[in-house]
Amino acid sequence: MPESEWVLLVRYSEIHLKGLNKPFFERKLIEAIKAVLSDMDVVIKKAQGRVYVHGLALTDIELAISRLKKVFGIHSVSPALAVDATWNTIVEAAYTLFADALKEKSSASFKVIARRADKSFALSSDEINRQLGGLLITRFPELFVDVHTPNIRLGVEIRERAFLYIREARCAGGMPVGSSGQAALLLSGGIDSPVAGFLVAKRGVTLCAIHFLSPPYTSERARDKVEALTKILSAYTGQIRLHLVPFTQIQLLIHENCRPNETVLLMRRMMMRISERIAASEGALALVTGEAIGQVASQTMESLVVTSEAVRIPVLRPLIGFDKQEIIEYAKAIGSYETSILPYEDCCTVFVPRHPLTRPVLSKLVESEAQFDYNKAIEDALYNTKVVTINRHVDYSPQA
Amino acid sequence: MLIYLDNSATTKPFKAVAETVNNCLTELYFNPASAYPQAVSTERKVEQVRLLFTQALFASPAEIIFTSGGTESNNIAIAGATEAMRNPQQFITTSVEHPSVFEVFRRLETKKVNVEYAGVDSYGAVQLDEFKALLNENTSFISMMHVNNEVGAINDIEQAHRLIKEYAPQALFHVDGVQAFCKLPFAKLLCDMYSISGHKFNAPKGVGLLYVRKGTPFAGGFLGGGQERGLRSGTTNVPGILGMGEALNQYSKNQNEWLNGMRACKLRLAANIKSIKDTLVNGPDPQKGAPHILNISFLGVRGEVLLHALAEKGILVSTGSACSARKKNNNRVLHAMGIAGERLDGAVRFSFCPFNTLKEMDDTAQILSELVTDLRKFKRK
Repeated sequence: MPESEWVLLVRYSEIHLKGLNKPFFERKLIEAIKAVLSDMDVVIKKAQGRVYVHGLALTDIELAISRLKKVFGIHSVSPALAVDATWNTIVEAAYTLFADALKEKSSASFKVIARRADKSFALSSDEINRQLGGLLITRFPELFVDVHTPNIRLGVEIRERAFLYIREARCAGGMPVGSSGQAALLLSGGIDSPVAGFLVAKRGVTLCAIHFLSPPYTSERARDKVEALTKILSAYTGQIRLHLVPFTQIQLLIHENCRPNETVLLMRRMMMRISERIAASEGALALVTGEAIGQVASQTMESLVVTSEAVRIPVLRPLIGFDKQEIIEYAKAIGSYETSILPYEDCCTVFVPRHPLTRPVLSKLVESEAQFDYNKAIEDALYNTKVVTINRHVDYSPQA
Repeated sequence: MLIYLDNSATTKPFKAVAETVNNCLTELYFNPASAYPQAVSTERKVEQVRLLFTQALFASPAEIIFTSGGTESNNIAIAGATEAMRNPQQFITTSVEHPSVFEVFRRLETKKVNVEYAGVDSYGAVQLDEFKALLNENTSFISMMHVNNEVGAINDIEQAHRLIKEYAPQALFHVDGVQAFCKLPFAKLLCDMYSISGHKFNAPKGVGLLYVRKGTPFAGGFLGGGQERGLRSGTTNVPGILGMGEALNQYSKNQNEWLNGMRACKLRLAANIKSIKDTLVNGPDPQKGAPHILNISFLGVRGEVLLHALAEKGILVSTGSACSARKKNNNRVLHAMGIAGERLDGAVRFSFCPFNTLKEMDDTAQILSELVTDLRKFKRK
């Protein structure tokens, strides 16, 4: 083992709360960490409540942190200096860290937070705090102690080795993808649905995605856009199977046979039915949509109820109580916003009535649906659906 | 089946052009600025192409600067002339210029430069009365396109030149000839600067030129190794320039026949479409205007939807308008011509090259007629 090396100390999010299932969650988390660091020559080790990433090149540390920020189940990451657990080496390592941290500062407050997991170490946590703090003040006169709001927090963890760090990068939290079953995300290409997918995946849910195409009313670029959004999501979720459903025929049938103010809701109900079938074929247990109460006519309470009524599968709506502005902020943080606002999706205005219903009556919609044979149209759409497998995206430069 | 009718966007290079380019990439890959014999003979080939262009433009070799294409030519024409001026005052251009001219002037405006925009008539040609009224002794620079890329309107450069000589003799006159070169008979240029793009006349992408009349104050474009007599540095794009030379060579040999052929295609398609109900030609009468651009509105159909439906059938066209329910229609040219509403939404541009045939025009019209009938059934309710 090298005398000292940089390792990434990865802290779990909620996994420590789990009981007997803990090994399962940990395994899923380590799989995800391995996947995002697969092109770096690293060794991943599990310790009590922690994962350590060894062997990172110094130049890869920022990139590795940036990628780990997109792995659900991680609470935070610290680049730590790992040294032998002897007092002298620990003090030397602390000097090294502070020499660097104080480079451009005339003064700074600090605090030492030691954790002695290895109880065979001679000093207790509290003794380490006091003694190391005292040595640091002697060595760096510009330092002063502030235990409540320090500028610099020096973490010291004593295990089989000692790990020292002063930086803690907050990560996405949540639970490792693959630990909570699968759901099918209805991905429109707008701002909301990628955020909805993100929030569900954050709870450990694996995603597949469904998009409806309306050529010639939508273009090939609209399809590229949805693939691009799926790619952005995949950085968090891992591989996503994207189902592309040709939907024009169903839209034309509705347009021809039904009252104009009902067309949007009838379309939504057809989309739900198709999605339910795709979910079943993928083993997904629920649908996920980006709907929020009252955002548009098809998302009033009444509209949401008649939309859900078309299927038996549960419909998850993680954005239900969000304002548009909150959703936009999420989308920007996820990195999907810039792609979502590309203008390719707006070509089916022909199918959007000027005055859509906001208080639909279920029995009337059912009556309208009886006007044409939608089952045949759904079978055709499913038969002609294409599946594209989008592999996990990894960044090649650290993201802000 | 593939019927390519988007030749104003770009053209398919002639076979001889592709062979020339290939030869440059595999055999004649030397840097003409180097010293050994292979480099010298490469340089000679480039200079031969320059001579070929002097014939087509009635110019001298020192007046021709090879560039990376139309956008660069337009950008450095305006920037290079402005930089060489002591005290630039008023700039004049038109409301229908290509973005590579229009956006340069928009940026100049943010720097408090006075830019005037001459309007166009309902056929897309610059209104010379209005243009004349803008000219004065403070006019420093004028930029006007030769052929409009959306509707094929031809501006009367000769008359514009005459007006400039009379009312603003000190002003520099730049003409964007990207859609005109080779598509109009070769003639002496009545301007100080003229932009050309190779890929619009079946040459490769990434090459073009700027004609700068002798004596024109011009500071040039990129700085660097001093290529193009110090006016546009950058390693000479030998494959592009030689390919472009070959394309011009082909046009020089066949221009009459090809111009007649493109005009015949345009007239045939226009006549065929006339039999489809509720269609309107945008721009000049198909008999007039450039031989290779035809812009037609199909009322009650969104241009972009028709474009995608045609593409499914293997017919490639374009619409200037970005189809967007939320965004305002952004076809600046049609808008400037006073076209609005359904006519604006339903506009489609067909543009031709010497490869097109009359049969293609008949097939296109046939499919158009079917698609338009179908698409019109579904209107927003």
